[in-house]
Amino acid sequence: MSMPVPPEPSFPVSGPESASVPGTSASRAPVRYRCRHTTRYSYTVQVVSSQLIAHLAPRAVPGQRARVLDMVIDPAPAVIAERRDWLGNPVAYIAIDTPHLDLSVTVELDVTLTPQRPPDLEATPAWERIVATAPAVLAVAEFLESSPRLPLPSPDLAAFAASCFPAGRPVGAGAFDLMARIHADFAFDSNATSVTTPVLEVLSLKRGVCQDFAHVMIGALRALGLPARYVSGYLRTLPPPGQPRLQGADASHAWAQVWCGPAAGWVDMDPTNDTLIDRNHITLAYGRDYEDVCPLSGVILGGDAHALYVSVDVEEWDDSPPPCARREAPETEATQSQQDDWQGQSQTCG
Amino acid sequence: MAEPPKQPPEQPSLFSDAGDLGYGTGPIFDEMVTGTGQLRPHWQQFFAAHGPFTPEQMAVKWAAARQRLFLNGVTFNSYRDPQGTERPWPLDPVPLLISSVEWRAISAGLVQRARLTEQVLADFYGPQTLLADGTVPPSLLYADPGYLRACQGLDVPGGRRLLLFAADLVRDGDGQWRVLTCRTEAPTGAGYALENRAVLSQTLADPFRACNVERLTSFFETLRASLARSAPQCSGVDGHPRAVLLTPGPFNEAYFEHAYLARHLRMTLAEGADMVVRDQAVYLKTLAGLERVDVILHRVDDAFCDPLELRVDSALGVPGLLQAVRAGSVAVVNALGSGMAESMALLSHMPALSQRLLGEELLLPNVQTYWGGDPAQREILLSQLDQMVVRPAFSSLAGQVANGPDLEEDARDDLAARIRARPQNWAGQVPVAPSTAPLWRDGRVEPRPLVVRAFVCANGEGGWTVMPGGLVRISADSRHAAVSLQEGGGSKDLWIVGSERPGTVRRLITTPPDGAREPSPVPGNLPSRAADHLFWVGRYAERAAAAVRLLRGATLRLSDDSRPSAREELSPLLRLMGRATLIPQEIAQLPDSDALRGMRQALEIVVDPANPGGLVAATARLRRAMGSVRDRLPSDTRQVLSRLDAIGGALVKADRPALALLLDDFSQVLAAQTGLELDSMPRGAGWRFLVLGRRLERSIDSVERLQAAGVVSERADAATLEVLLELAEAGPAYRERFPVGVQREAALSLLLTDPEHPHSLLFQLDTVRRQVGRLPALPAFGSATDTDPLARLADQVAQASYRLQDLALTRDMGLLSATLFQLGWSLPAMSNLLSQAYFSHVHARAA
Repeated sequence: MSMPVPPEPSFPVSGPESASVPGTSASRAPVRYRCRHTTRYSYTVQVVSSQLIAHLAPRAVPGQRARVLDMVIDPAPAVIAERRDWLGNPVAYIAIDTPHLDLSVTVELDVTLTPQRPPDLEATPAWERIVATAPAVLAVAEFLESSPRLPLPSPDLAAFAASCFPAGRPVGAGAFDLMARIHADFAFDSNATSVTTPVLEVLSLKRGVCQDFAHVMIGALRALGLPARYVSGYLRTLPPPGQPRLQGADASHAWAQVWCGPAAGWVDMDPTNDTLIDRNHITLAYGRDYEDVCPLSGVILGGDAHALYVSVDVEEWDDSPPPCARREAPETEATQSQQDDWQGQSQTCG
Repeated sequence: MAEPPKQPPEQPSLFSDAGDLGYGTGPIFDEMVTGTGQLRPHWQQFFAAHGPFTPEQMAVKWAAARQRLFLNGVTFNSYRDPQGTERPWPLDPVPLLISSVEWRAISAGLVQRARLTEQVLADFYGPQTLLADGTVPPSLLYADPGYLRACQGLDVPGGRRLLLFAADLVRDGDGQWRVLTCRTEAPTGAGYALENRAVLSQTLADPFRACNVERLTSFFETLRASLARSAPQCSGVDGHPRAVLLTPGPFNEAYFEHAYLARHLRMTLAEGADMVVRDQAVYLKTLAGLERVDVILHRVDDAFCDPLELRVDSALGVPGLLQAVRAGSVAVVNALGSGMAESMALLSHMPALSQRLLGEELLLPNVQTYWGGDPAQREILLSQLDQMVVRPAFSSLAGQVANGPDLEEDARDDLAARIRARPQNWAGQVPVAPSTAPLWRDGRVEPRPLVVRAFVCANGEGGWTVMPGGLVRISADSRHAAVSLQEGGGSKDLWIVGSERPGTVRRLITTPPDGAREPSPVPGNLPSRAADHLFWVGRYAERAAAAVRLLRGATLRLSDDSRPSAREELSPLLRLMGRATLIPQEIAQLPDSDALRGMRQALEIVVDPANPGGLVAATARLRRAMGSVRDRLPSDTRQVLSRLDAIGGALVKADRPALALLLDDFSQVLAAQTGLELDSMPRGAGWRFLVLGRRLERSIDSVERLQAAGVVSERADAATLEVLLELAEAGPAYRERFPVGVQREAALSLLLTDPEHPHSLLFQLDTVRRQVGRLPALPAFGSATDTDPLARLADQVAQASYRLQDLALTRDMGLLSATLFQLGWSLPAMSNLLSQAYFSHVHARAA
C-alpha cells in the first residue's frame, strides 16, 4: 500500500482553478523511470504448489510509454501464460509446482511519462448531463454499475458526495472537490484497514490507505450516477529536502478516474495526495475496483501463516544499472528463457 | 371456541365424474378435465387402461411408488434442516398427460428458446454487437453479477455453450403455455425426471403401455454423445474422453440427482477437492495417481468453480480451472458464465432478441416480465406494483421475492423506493394462474397448480433435442403458484401420450455406433477421497460392531441373573468398555465388588450424546462416513442408512430395556451391511479399501483386547476368557470342540490361530496381507522398491502370522507377548501409511 506523498513544491496543485491552468512547457518534458517491484511471501509450512494471477505489466495509457525489462519468479514457475483481460489489461497466469517456503516475484519496468496538458475541469459538462447520457455510452457504462467491492445503491456514499455536486456543477470540478474533501476528511493510517475492509467501514472510520480512498471516491461518484474506475499503479516519491532517497520507499499505489464527457474523457484523480496525476504516477491497469486489478493474487496448496514483504523503487533513469537491479534469484537457464518470453510479449506503448 | 376443521366430502370413486367428487372445476385451466367437468380426450386411454380408480387402489399405488422410491434411495436435502437431512422424494401417483400433438408445438418453442439463448450468450461473451447496436441496454450485462468477466472471449468447444437447457413452463387461463424462467447454469431435474419415470412405468405398467408413452432413453443418449463431442481430446486408453460430474457434495440439495446422473451418463462423480490443475490441464486424484479429465459437467454454480479467478471464497471449485479451459485442455459444460441467461432482465428482452437474431416471434411467449433497467418497462413495473411478483433482476443477486398483491401499502411504497434507488436490480412478472392437475394427498385428489420443467440438449447435427417428458412440480397449496420442493410441494412424471410412432424398446445397455466417442468414467480407480471414506466406513463399522457386542454382553448379564457367573463377567466387560473408550476409566477400573453398580452407570454413559467415545457418537461417525460415499456402496445401503438414523435417534437416553432391544436391532443392521458388501460389491479398489478398513480395525481391536485382558500371563481367568470368546463370536464354536469348562490354551487357539474362524487374529492378518498385496501400485513412492514402507509393514504382518501359527505347537507365551507388542505398533502404522500414501498422495508426491 502507498504512503502519502510529502509536500512537494515541484508539483503544486492547490485547487481546480490552478489545475485548469495549462502547465508550463518545462513541466511537460518527458521523464524516464526505472521501476522495480518485489513481492515476497514467506510461509511457515511448505507450500506444495501455487497458482497466481498477476496484473504487474503496464497497459497502454496516454502519456505513458512502458515496457517490462525483466521479470524474475522464484522458484521458477512451470507455467507462465500471458493474455489481456476483458478491459485490455495485461494479465499473467503463473503456476509453480516446486515445493517452496518462500515465493518472490520481481518485475522491473522502463517507463517514460510525458505529462499531458491538464484538462480544463471547469469546462467539463454539468454532472447531471453525464448522469443522463453515460448509461448509453458503451465504453463507460460498465463503470456505472455495482462491482465486487462497491455494491450499489449506496445512499451513504451518495450523501457524502452530494455537497461537491451542486446543480449544474461541471463534473470535473465537482470530482476535484470530492477528491479534496476525501483528502481533508480522511487520515492516512496503514493500520486502520486491511485489503478486505468494506468501503462503508472506511467511510465511517475516515481512515485508511490509497486503496480505501480510491474506493470511497469511486463508490461516491457511482452512487451519484457518474462513471468512475480504479487505477492500480506506482507512485514516485521524493525525499525530504537534503535527505537521500530511501530504497524501497516508493509505493504500490491506487487512485481513481472519473469520466468527464466525450471531450475530456477519463481524468485521473489521486485522493490520497489531493492531486491530478502528472509526472509521478505510473499506471499498471484499470478496473471496476481493486478486485479486477489486484497486482498479485493466488491460491496455494499447503502452506500456513505467511509473511508478506513488498518493496517498490521508482528512480529516474540512469544508463548505468542501478544497485537495486541486482537479482536476488540465481539466474538459471529456465528463468532466463521465461524472462525472454515475458519480455517478448510485453508491450511498448505510447 | 375454534370450529372443528371442515371435513371435505368423501370421494367414493375418483375421476368417474369430476363434478361429483368435488374435483374443482372453475375458471382455471385444468389439465385433466374441461371447464364442464369432462375428461380431456388424451386422458381417456389412461383411465380405460387403469380400470376403476378407488381411494383404496390409489392408496396402494401411492404406497408402491413410495416404497420403490425409498428402495432406490431417491432423496433431496432440505436446506431448512440444519442437519441437512435427506427427505424422501415426493412423487405423485398420477402422471401429467400431454398429447403428442401439443407437445410437438411446445418442443418447437423450446428449441427456439435454446437456440436463441445460445446465440445471445455467444454474443455477450464475444463481440457484444447486441450492446453496440442498442438491442439491449449495457446494464443488462454490466449490472449482472452472473456476467463473468473472466470468461469474456473464452472459446467454447464446438461453439456450443449450452449442452443442457431447461425452461419452466406454466399454462395460463387461455390454455397458452408460457415461459416462467430459463435454466442455463447447471439445470437440475433431468435425473429426477428419469427416476420418476422408472418408478411410474412400473407401478402403472398397464396404462403406461396402453398410452404409448414416449420414452426418455434416447434423450440421455444424445446428451452423452454431446458431452463426448465437447471433449477437446480423449485421454482414455480406450479412445473415449474421460468425463467427470462436478458436485458440491453430499449436502447439496440435489446430491441424489448428481450421483444418479453420473451413474446413468457413466461419468465419475467428483468434488472440487478431488481435482487439481497441473500444466493447465485438469487431473482427478485417483488411487493410481493423477488421471487427466477431458469433460466436466458442473453442478457447482459458475462463480464457485474456480477460486483463483472467480469467487475467491469458494471451497467447491478447482483452482486454475478457468485457465485450463482457456488453454483448451478441458471442456466445462454448460460453459462457465452461462448462468447469466437465467436473469429476469434478459427474459424481458427475449421477444426483441428473437426478432433481432432470428427474425421470428417467440413461439412460446414469456410470462409477462418487466425489468427496471429499461425505462419503459420500469414505468409499468412501478405503476402496476400491486399486481406484480417482484424479484431480483439477476439470478445471482441476493434478494427476497415480493408478491405485490400481498403487500401492505407501506411495504409496497418501500419496495417502490428500493426499485427507484437501483431499478436495474429489479424485475417483476405478472403472475398467471397456472393450470392445475390432480394431486393425491390424504386419501383425496385435489386440483393443484403446476409448473413443468422441460429439458433440451444439444445434439450432434448442430441442433437441439427435446426430452419427451420432464419434471412436473405441483404445489401443495391451492392459492399459490409458487412451486418449490423445499416448501413441501410434490413432483409428477410427465407422459407425452398418443404418439403415432411406436415407443422404442428401452435398452438397458446401449452400444454406440462404430467409432462414436462416448464419455467414460476415469478408469477403475476411484477418487482418493472416496477410497479414504470407504476405508473409514470399514473401520467405523467394525468399531461400532465391537461396541455393540460389548454392550449386548453387558445388558444380557444385567437382565439375566440366572446365568451362571454373570456377576464375575461384569468386571472384564467393564475393563474392555474402558479400553474401547466407551466409558471413563474411573468406572472401568472399579473393583469387582462395585462392578454391578458400575455397569448400570456405564450403560447410561454410553448412550449419552455428549460422550464423544459413546455409542451415539460412534453411530454418527459411521453414518457420516457412509453418507459421504453412499453412491459407491450397494444401493440397498440406503435402507441401512435410514435404519441407522432411526437407531441413532432412539439411542439417546434410552433406558436399559430399550437399549437391549436397540442393540439387537443395531447388530442386525450392521450384519445386513456386511452382507450387502459381500454380496453386491464388485471386488475393485473400493471394496479392497473397505475390507482393509474392517480387517485392520478388527485386528487392532483384537490385539489391544488380548493385551488388556492379560491372556499372555496367567492373569486371564475363566470369566475373562468366556467374555473374550463371546466378543469374538467364538462361544458356540468353542463349546462344540471343548464341551466342558473354559481352558486358556484351547480358548487362545480359537482367538489367535484358528485360520478358519473369521474373528481370529490370524484370519485378520492373512486378509490384511492379501488385500495390501492387491492394492494399486503406490503413487506416492513411484515404482515399488525394497524400501517401500507399506511392503515392509506387510512383511512384518506376515511374520507375525507365521509366529502365531508356530504358537499352536510351541505354546511359547514369551513369543506371543512379543508378537502382540509388535502388531500393536505395526497395524496402526499401516493404517496411517495407507492414509498418507493413497489418500493424500498428491501432497505426498509433490513434497
